[in-house]
Amino acid sequence: MKPREFLSPITPATPAGPLVRIGLTYAALVALGALFSLPVVWMLSSSLHELAAVFAQPYRWLPVPLHWENYARAVTILPVPRFLLNTVLITAPVMAATVLSSALVAYGFARFRFPGRDALFALCLATMMLPGQVTMIPLYLVFAKLGWVDTYLPLIVPSLFGSPFYIFLLRQFFLTIPPDSEEAARIDGASRLRIWWSVVLPQARPAVATVLIFTFIGTWNDFFGPLLYLNSPEKATLTLGLNLMKTQVLGSGVVEWNVLMAASLLVLAPNVILFFIAQRHFIRGITMGAGK
Amino acid sequence: MKAEHRQGWLFVSPWVIGFALLTAGPMLYSLYLSFTSASLLSPPQWLGLENYRRLAADPLFYRSLGNTAAYAAMGVPAGLLLSLGLALLLNAPVRGLGFFRTLFFLPSVTNTVALSLLWLWLLNPEFGLLNAGLRACGLAGPLWLQSEAWAKPALVLMSLWTAGGQAVIFLAALQGVPRELTEAAAIDGAGPVRRFFAITLPMISPALLFNLIMGLVGALQVFTQAFVMTGGVQPGSEGGPNQATLFIVLYIYKKAFQEFDMGYASALAWALFVLITGCSALAFRLARERVHYESEAA
Amino acid sequence: MKSLHSLTLVATLPVLAGLAFLLAGCGPRAGDDRTVVYNCAASTSDIAALSREQAGFLARTGIRVKLNPFSGEEKLYAMIAAGQAPDVFYTNGAVRDRLAAEGRLLDLRPFAEHDPFFTRLRPEIRAAAPSVNGGIYSVSNWTHTCGVYYNRAAFAAAGLASPSPDWTWEDFAAAARKLTLANKDGARPARYGVFIPAHFIEALEQMNHAPIPRGALLLSIPPESREVYAAYLALICEGVMPDIRRVQALGMQAGQMLESGRVAMLVEAVPHPGLIETLTIDWGVAPMPRFGQKAPRYFRSASGGLSISAATKHPADAWRTLAWLVGEAAPYQPNPVLGDVDFARAWEAKYPRLRGTGFREVWARSEAHAGGDPRYFVRFASWSMSPVMSRLQPWLDRLWAGDATLDEVVAAVPGINAGVREDLERQLRSTALRPAWKAALERELAAARNQP
Repeated sequence: MKPREFLSPITPATPAGPLVRIGLTYAALVALGALFSLPVVWMLSSSLHELAAVFAQPYRWLPVPLHWENYARAVTILPVPRFLLNTVLITAPVMAATVLSSALVAYGFARFRFPGRDALFALCLATMMLPGQVTMIPLYLVFAKLGWVDTYLPLIVPSLFGSPFYIFLLRQFFLTIPPDSEEAARIDGASRLRIWWSVVLPQARPAVATVLIFTFIGTWNDFFGPLLYLNSPEKATLTLGLNLMKTQVLGSGVVEWNVLMAASLLVLAPNVILFFIAQRHFIRGITMGAGK
Repeated sequence: MKAEHRQGWLFVSPWVIGFALLTAGPMLYSLYLSFTSASLLSPPQWLGLENYRRLAADPLFYRSLGNTAAYAAMGVPAGLLLSLGLALLLNAPVRGLGFFRTLFFLPSVTNTVALSLLWLWLLNPEFGLLNAGLRACGLAGPLWLQSEAWAKPALVLMSLWTAGGQAVIFLAALQGVPRELTEAAAIDGAGPVRRFFAITLPMISPALLFNLIMGLVGALQVFTQAFVMTGGVQPGSEGGPNQATLFIVLYIYKKAFQEFDMGYASALAWALFVLITGCSALAFRLARERVHYESEAA
Repeated sequence: MKSLHSLTLVATLPVLAGLAFLLAGCGPRAGDDRTVVYNCAASTSDIAALSREQAGFLARTGIRVKLNPFSGEEKLYAMIAAGQAPDVFYTNGAVRDRLAAEGRLLDLRPFAEHDPFFTRLRPEIRAAAPSVNGGIYSVSNWTHTCGVYYNRAAFAAAGLASPSPDWTWEDFAAAARKLTLANKDGARPARYGVFIPAHFIEALEQMNHAPIPRGALLLSIPPESREVYAAYLALICEGVMPDIRRVQALGMQAGQMLESGRVAMLVEAVPHPGLIETLTIDWGVAPMPRFGQKAPRYFRSASGGLSISAATKHPADAWRTLAWLVGEAAPYQPNPVLGDVDFARAWEAKYPRLRGTGFREVWARSEAHAGGDPRYFVRFASWSMSPVMSRLQPWLDRLWAGDATLDEVVAAVPGINAGVREDLERQLRSTALRPAWKAALERELAAARNQP
């Protein structure tokens, strides 16, 4: 496959059509992009202002000079390397376990006929619909009994059993994949597990990438789980630490918005970088249809 | 046939085991609590249907239900339309999309706490960016979160800003639409609108159903933004001006953790559970004829 | 296809590594006998300061203090429910009563009676300590009054002299009017004269001698309170106070408005370490204005404090830790709850910036007028705070928004109280309620029933 293949226009060229169309597309992209990025741009801009300028009216978007020391201060309040390591130690296993277990279960729901399947799937979806606020404490009691409080286990172990959200997502996606190639592999005598791994998963790359990204973001940004299960400050994740910092910064009379925004951007940065890299997988996904 | 059953169960077993170990117990326990006067700190006392009777006569339950329904009615369709629009734009055959994809997705990766802080600032009626923008256009901005009428639209606006997450799912589905199909239709003379409704939309309908259900579940369980953004410093003032943002989960939280009424909170949660499950089942039923699955025949 | 597989493989390795790491870290806990867990909403700098100091505390007492800085209602209840409650933690007045009534808090009387630390507390704090059954379930770890912080430059520019400590509401409102700066377009003031966060209305009610009995279960809005509400509303209607009815919980701190020059006067807590540390403008602070000829009653709040879990394994050590935190630990010193230090002087020594701001005067007045009457945020300290406020707040919201009149709010009080009574009677039916609490609640409900 050629890397730029996806860029070729879907519609055959009509005279004068493409230029206008491309122009309009860019206009829409730029307008919406500006709207969507404005708050983040403000975050960036305010993170580089001195405090007084953050509240100046009218707001000056370009900080002159750039106050990089806000970031230095953010890092002294928020021990980034330590918390980053903690976060990675939780996020990496959760990502791998979630995508594998969810894809297994989703494949079971999408491709097998067995008694009770539909009821089971409905049950699986239903578990998403009970607000967590009431099951939170019973679940805490379970993990407390196991002696897992103040360890990462309550945050990681549940991901081994698949997440209904991603099971649903992947099942929906598997259902759109034509079953022909799987049947061909079955005739060749491949086991179902083998087919799942080497035929289905590669075809589901956009969905797998989506699940990986969502899991990453969900775990990275999870505040409630770490808050509930972690007690020692040295075990905190970045998001929990950011929240702790928020308590400190907001506890003061004049909120150091610039420093808070600098810290928020530091916590945000890995997500952006990951997404920017991983979206290649979505893009490659377009060749999936052509690949069969 | 037998092997197929066994293998099927084997594939779904991780979830079944997890459900049995970690979900079923807490769920049943909360169901039990809903029939008691539990505070979780003291032994529960059996009340029978008392909590459900109380719920049926509780004006705040209906108020929170109405708030939640209004939020969902505004937020879910708007979110679907916006994210589908974004996905279509991002699927367009132009250069530099990687940058725009990241741009649109950026808000969805910001953590909720930072996001809420940011929006409190943007929505501040006196000093915020949004009203400053409106003033520049000669408009008097509303009080947003401080106003009974505008608090919910303000939260919807904020949720729309994170439509990039749903757009990614649409995008993944859009990229699964075989190009031969649209190309063939184009050669047959179908215009872009017709191609979209005749080919693209049916092909991505599973993703649409997914986003619809998830949008519904998310909207009916909306909590964090309302909790962080419309709680006052005064105790008892959570839920925004005149309780305009007292959503059902916020009400559950308040009962469970501020008024020690875990039994009643559990009854509220199960009422919500039945409601969401009902809505989702309805959505599934309505979708049955309309959603297109490639492998339906299998 | 290759790339997906290698991706998954790469992702699997950390799983194994992570699990191994976790299992290794999961061994039996060190059985340190005299460890006291302190659950606090402390900032990272406070945590660092406390961590430094606890070495000395450990050397002196043999008690190891473990800090758990992550607080939250859900977390605390989950820990209590699991039998893993922290030994020492913060409770506000309403939570303290509920937890104590269910036997979850240690009665501190035996310690308080014998420890000289307790006698170091200001008399009114000691007097307010006992709960409805006479037990002591928390020790206040902070107290404050409130005052009017003002921007000196704004006062000078408006040709105003600094506020007199004996100013009246009329003086205050007149100053607010003069300090309000119109915008060029005339639409909205460029600077508002004053901002009073709505939760400080009770301070004004106190100044106007509104009778709000401490610990009252039912709501009353006496005529004195009505006058205050009307005066507050008038400031918004006149356009001298921004129409931000609630200070938003997080986004915009009131102090910011003073700092950024958006308001010229601000009612806030005194002392307020955060404000003192972060304000860069030239500011002063004046006592709250009086209403007419009424003698001042300066508001004072100490509605929360540190409690000890009933399940603690080391009650004496936990008490010693509590005493250390309130009375000795550097981040919280000098502490205004202590009666044996000259707080104003010590505070000025800690923050030299305070000299000449009027802080000393504000504090001295609150001391002179608070004897035996701690002036709590009464409505937010009683057992029935949540039932009352969840019913009153919507009415107040409508009042500030102009959707309800004062008369309508006052007329709603019996209905609000009927609902509160219903909630309290439901609580009475709970078997978990300790007898003493049950009796006290019944007594107060009966007394309330006799009121109109």
